[in-house]
Amino acid sequence: MNCFYIDKLLPMILGLMLFFMPCSLLAMDADYCLMCHGDTDMVSGSLLIEATTFDTTAHAILGCTTCHESIDDEHPNGDSKLSRATCLDCHDHLGQEYMMTDHANYATCGDCHNPHEVRAMDAMAGYDMNDKCFKCHEVPAMVDLHKQWLPQANLHIAKLPCITCHTGSEGYEIVLNIVAKQDDRFLSRYELPDYQTLQEISGEAGILSLIDNDGDSFITLRELKAFNRNPKYRDLRLAGTMVPSDVSHDLSTLDNRYDCTFCHVSGPQSMQTSFLAIPNRDGGYQRIQVEQGAVLDALYGTPDFYMVGTTRSASMNIIGLIIICGGLVMPVGHGLLRFLTRKNRQH
Amino acid sequence: MSENKKVYLQPTPVRIWHWLNAFGIITLTVSGAQIRFPEYITLLGNYKSVIYLHNTAGFVVAISFTFWFFYYVFIARSMANLYVPKVEELKTGLLRQIKFYFLTYFLGWENPHHPTPKNKFNPMQKSAYLAIMFVLMPLVSLTGIFMTNVEPLRGVIVMLGGLKILMNFHFLLACCLIAFLPTHMYLTTLGHTPLEHIKTMWTGWEEGEEEVSGSEHIGTVSTR
Ligand code: HEC
Ligand code: HEC
Ligand code: HEC
Ligand code: HEC
Ligand code: HEC
Ligand code: HEC
Repeated sequence: MNCFYIDKLLPMILGLMLFFMPCSLLAMDADYCLMCHGDTDMVSGSLLIEATTFDTTAHAILGCTTCHESIDDEHPNGDSKLSRATCLDCHDHLGQEYMMTDHANYATCGDCHNPHEVRAMDAMAGYDMNDKCFKCHEVPAMVDLHKQWLPQANLHIAKLPCITCHTGSEGYEIVLNIVAKQDDRFLSRYELPDYQTLQEISGEAGILSLIDNDGDSFITLRELKAFNRNPKYRDLRLAGTMVPSDVSHDLSTLDNRYDCTFCHVSGPQSMQTSFLAIPNRDGGYQRIQVEQGAVLDALYGTPDFYMVGTTRSASMNIIGLIIICGGLVMPVGHGLLRFLTRKNRQH
Repeated sequence: MSENKKVYLQPTPVRIWHWLNAFGIITLTVSGAQIRFPEYITLLGNYKSVIYLHNTAGFVVAISFTFWFFYYVFIARSMANLYVPKVEELKTGLLRQIKFYFLTYFLGWENPHHPTPKNKFNPMQKSAYLAIMFVLMPLVSLTGIFMTNVEPLRGVIVMLGGLKILMNFHFLLACCLIAFLPTHMYLTTLGHTPLEHIKTMWTGWEEGEEEVSGSEHIGTVSTR
C-alpha cells in the first residue's frame, strides 16, 4: 500500500494538480511544445517527440513543463539549458530499490527508459521489454554467458524477458502474443507483428476479434482452439512468455531462477492464469484475460507454449498411465497362470 | 540330463549394447518421470541436473542405437534375418509362438523355438522387436533430439504442429517403451530356470536343452 502511494498516487495527484493549473502554464504545455517538437520540419533526432506516442504514455498527464520547469518565453533561443526532472523525484520507491543495486553503477534510469515513451509493464507485449537490455547486453554474448549453466540458453534468451529471471518478483504471469510468419519461405520465422499488420488481417472488427469471437473481451479455451485450427490464420501463431507479476528493479538474481524451481517446479496450478496481449494503435499493448488453465490444454489451446514440468496435461498423464498399466497385464496375468500351473512343468 | 551343449548366442558388442541400453533406458525413465513431475519426484537431485542427466542418457542411447544398427546391418549383416519376420513365420510361426506362451507353456510343453546365433528370436520376439527397435526407439530419439534443440529447429517444430504435440508424442512413445519393460523382464524368466536368459545376456552363452524335442529349427543347422 505504502509503495503504491509513493509510486503511483503521489505523482498522480501532483500531475493532476499541475494539469488543472490555470492559463499561462497550461498554454505553454504539451500541445504548444509539440507544435515544434512533434514536427520533423522543426526539430530532428532526439529532440523529436512523437505526439501520438507521448499522448498515450503514463507521463502525458504531466504535460511537458512539469519535468522541464525552467522553460521560459525565450525558448528555443535562450542560452541556458532547460531543467529536467529526475525520475527519483516521483518514482521514489522503485527508484530507491534500483539505486541500491550494483546495476545502478552501470546504467541510469534514462539508459533504459525514454521519459517520453514510458509504458507500464502490463502495457507491453513481454519480450519487447528486452529491447532495453539489448542496448548493452547483446544476445549472442548473453547466450554464451547463460549457456554455462542454463540448458537451452538460446531458447530461454529468445523467449523470456530478462527481468523474469533478474528481478525480485515473487511470481510470474503468462502472456500470449500473436506472432506472424515473416515471409513465404519454407520454415520462416514468426515475429511479433505491429498494430498495422494485424489490423490489416483482422479488418474492421479489430485485432481482438481474431480470437475473441463473441466480443466479450474474454478469451475462452474454445476460442483459442478455434483460432489455432482456423486455416485462415495459418500464418499466425500464439507465442507464450512469462513476465514478472510484480514490478521490481532489483536486478540481482534469486536462487530459484538459478535452480529452475521458479518456473519448472511450480506445478500446473501456477499456470492457471494467462493473458493475451493485443497491440494498440499507440504502440502499447492491452492485456485480455484468458480462461483459467487454458495453457494446460493437451493440444490446441496453445500449441507452441509448453514448459517442461509445469504445463503437463492431465489427460495425457492418464493415457500414459493406461499404456504403462497395459504393459503389466502380461507379467501379472501370465505370471499368475504360470504359478497355478507350475506342477505341469516339473519334469 | 544327457546333453548339455552351449550355444554362443549373444556376441560381445551386442551384450555391451544391451546393458548400456538397459542402464540408459532406466535412467531415462526415472529422470523423465522427475522432469514431468518435479514436485513429486526428486530422486536425482535438482531440476537442472536431472535435465542434463536425461539429455546425456538420451544421447548415449541414441548413439548406441546407431552403433547397434550399423553393427547388425554392416558388420554382422544379419539385421534382416534376425529382426524381420518372414512371411512364413508370420503365417504359422507367430500363431504357434502365441499358442505356446498362452497355452501349451502352462501345460508344460517345450518352447517350439530354439534360439541359434542366426535365428535367435522367435516370431513373436521378432514382431515385438521390430516395432520397438524400428519404430519406437527411432521416434523417441528423434523427438528427443528435437526437444533439446527447440530454438534452432523451431521452424520444423511448427511445421510438425507445435511444441506441445511433439512433447506429448515423446511422452506417449516413452510410455510405450516403459510398458514394454515389465513384459520384457518377465519373459526373460521363462527359460528353464528363471535366470537362464539373463545369464545368457551377461555371458553370451545359452545352455543347450536338457531334453531334445522334435521341433524344427527355422533356417539354421541344429547344434545337436
Ligand atoms: C518554436 C518551436 C519550439 C517550441 C514551441 C518549443 N521548443 Fe523546445 N526546442 C526547439 C528547438 C529548435 C530546440 C533546439 C535548440 C538548440 O538546439 O539549441 C529546442 C530544444 C529543446 C530542449 C533541449 C535543449 C535544452 O535546452 O535542454 C528541450 C528540453 C525543449 N526544447 C523543451 C521544450 C518544451 C518543454 C517546450 C514546451 C513548453 C518546448 N521545448 C517548446 C523549438 C521549440
Ligand atoms: C517525466 C518527465 C518528463 C516529461 C513529462 C517530459 N520530459 Fe522531456 N525530458 C525529460 C528528461 C528526464 C529528459 C532528459 C533525457 C535524457 O537526457 O536522456 C528530457 C529531455 C527532453 C528533450 C531533449 C532531448 C535531448 O536529446 O536532449 C526534449 C526536446 C524534451 N525533453 C521535450 C519534451 C517535451 C516537448 C515534452 C512534452 C511533450 C516533454 N519533454 C515531457 C523528462 C520529461
Ligand atoms: C513529475 C513526476 C514524475 C517524474 C519526474 C517522472 N515520472 Fe514517471 N510517472 C509519473 C506519473 C504520475 C506516472 C503515472 C502513474 C500511473 O499511471 O499510475 C508515471 C508513470 C511512469 C511509468 C509507467 C508506469 C505506470 O505505472 O504507468 C514509467 C515506466 C515511468 N513513469 C518512468 C519514469 C522515468 C524513467 C522517469 C525519469 C526519466 C520518470 N518516470 C519521471 C510521474 C513522474
Ligand atoms: C536496466 C534497465 C532499467 C533501468 C536502469 C531502470 N529501469 Fe525501470 N524498467 C525496466 C524494465 C525492463 C521495466 C518493465 C517494462 C516497462 O514497463 O518498461 C521497467 C519498468 C519501470 C516502471 C513501470 C512499472 C510499472 O508499474 O509497470 C517504472 C515506473 C520504472 N521502470 C522506473 C524506473 C526508474 C525510476 C528508474 C531509475 C531509478 C528505472 N526505472 C531504471 C528497466 C529499467
Ligand atoms: C546502459 C547499459 C546497460 C543496460 C541498458 C543494461 N545493462 Fe545490465 N549491465 C551493464 C553493465 C556495464 C554491467 C556490468 C558488466 C557485466 O556484467 O556485463 C551489467 C550487469 C548486469 C547484470 C549482472 C551484474 C549485476 O550486478 O546485476 C545483470 C543481471 C544485468 N546487467 C541485467 C540487465 C538487464 C535485465 C537489463 C535490461 C532490463 C540490463 N542489464 C540493461 C550495462 C547495462
Ligand atoms: C532463465 C532465467 C534467466 C534469463 C531469462 C536471463 N538470465 Fe541472466 N542470469 C540468470 C542467472 C540465474 C544468472 C546467475 C548465474 C550465476 O550465478 O552463475 C544470470 C547471470 C547473468 C549475468 C551475469 C551476472 C554475473 O554476476 O556475472 C548477466 C549480465 C545477465 N544474466 C544478463 C541477462 C540478460 C541481459 C538477460 C536477457 C537477455 C538475461 N540475463 C536473461 C538467469 C537468467
